[in-house]
Amino acid sequence: MFEVGRLVVKIAGRDAGLKGVIVDVLDKGYVLIDGQVRRRKCNVIHIEPLDKVVKLPKQATHEEVVSALKAEKIEVSEKKAKKAEKSARPIRQRKAKPSEAKTEEPKKEVKAKKKDVKKE
Amino acid sequence: MVSGRFRSRTFRRVFRKTPGGRTVLHHVLRKPGKVVCGKCGAILKGIAHARPAKFRNMPKTRRTVSRPYGGNLCSKCMRQLIKNNIKIE
Repeated sequence: MFEVGRLVVKIAGRDAGLKGVIVDVLDKGYVLIDGQVRRRKCNVIHIEPLDKVVKLPKQATHEEVVSALKAEKIEVSEKKAKKAEKSARPIRQRKAKPSEAKTEEPKKEVKAKKKDVKKE
Repeated sequence: MVSGRFRSRTFRRVFRKTPGGRTVLHHVLRKPGKVVCGKCGAILKGIAHARPAKFRNMPKTRRTVSRPYGGNLCSKCMRQLIKNNIKIE
């Protein structure tokens, strides 16, 4: 029932309800699926087989799977590539805390004054 | 004497320590019940239950489960629904 090229529907997890194809049969009870679902190893009890089988080589690439599914009128939406640069806006530099600046200045002044007094 | 509406048990009673060290009685509205599956009525896991205003301010991951029908149906009922939809097609 779970052979390479079998159309399946995922019934568990965040990909539930999405269609895909079995790309490879791994260990006992596990298959590799691809298509609308993310390409990954999957337990057989987490997928529901459909009555269609597509001709696909073992370990077919994602592009092959997408074209095969298109023939079955199953559209696979591609993920957009992440943008390299986030935004043109300059990154704000953190200002020094006003409390720190205030405490540092008077200390120095006081020390200088004391030295001045001793010298005199 | 507390206000009349606080004398009923509509409000939950909570003992709070004040900064001054006194213990005072606060009256807090009760939490709503746990979220249940819309089909079988089982308690849904991973979904917080709080007063609507607090619930809205929570992150989305605490309000739902990242799954189709997450936060409305339990996983078993969701699977059954998807299987039935396949058969109809």
